[in-house]
Amino acid sequence: MTLEDRREMPTVYEPAEDSRLLADTAVERVDGGVALEVGVGFGYVAAQVASATETRVVGCDINPEACVRAREAGIETVRSNLTDPFAADSFDVVLFNPPYLPTPPEEEWDDPLEHALSGGEDGRRVIRPFLDDLGRVLRPAGRCLLLVSSLTDIDAVVKLAADAGFESREVAEESFPFERLVVLEITHANS
Amino acid sequence: MKESLLDILCCPLDKGDLELEVIREDDDEILEGRLLCEECGEEYPIEDGIPNLLPPDMRDEAAA
Repeated sequence: MTLEDRREMPTVYEPAEDSRLLADTAVERVDGGVALEVGVGFGYVAAQVASATETRVVGCDINPEACVRAREAGIETVRSNLTDPFAADSFDVVLFNPPYLPTPPEEEWDDPLEHALSGGEDGRRVIRPFLDDLGRVLRPAGRCLLLVSSLTDIDAVVKLAADAGFESREVAEESFPFERLVVLEITHANS
Repeated sequence: MKESLLDILCCPLDKGDLELEVIREDDDEILEGRLLCEECGEEYPIEDGIPNLLPPDMRDEAAA
């Protein structure tokens, strides 16, 4: 589906295949501790993890309507830009299904769903600053589960993570006609 | 927000600790209030139970 096709949709990103893959993977691999879901949206992934595991799940989103929706789904939610307002070493788990669709500048439009979908020209506009701050908020033995699409260039994301001091490995994947979705488990390189 | 959330929050600008001012609360959470940075003094509102910790320059323009 292209960004154009999404224009008729509401202003908060609705759970789709990528959300489900991330939720299923998180439920399998996470149990206990404190988790943050960045870009919590409707709270689908966060609520799955909170109900299926013994994990305290906090959500954040830049979109105020998403914050309201996630809170209605029972998730403690903070309005923020990525992990900016979270204290160092706060999380055992960070979950993120980032905006990742590569989008030419002329197709960018100015609304909240653009933030939820568009990853800029290379699809990695939001992933880059996210990885830059991840090491600060993630506990030493913590891990991040990051949803990445082949459209965003998975190897390039692994390289960005390595540059930021992390190791990455694929822990789940699902193939579709036009893309492959992968969940990367990202940990501190020295852990 | 629950008061316990304060343990994992900080000022988005300088990562200073935040001080909570409660305006309205119910049995389990703060519904209206303010978070004040102990370092720079910046204020962040809590409205309808949601703390807005966007830096001030993003508060109005970002994904409204």
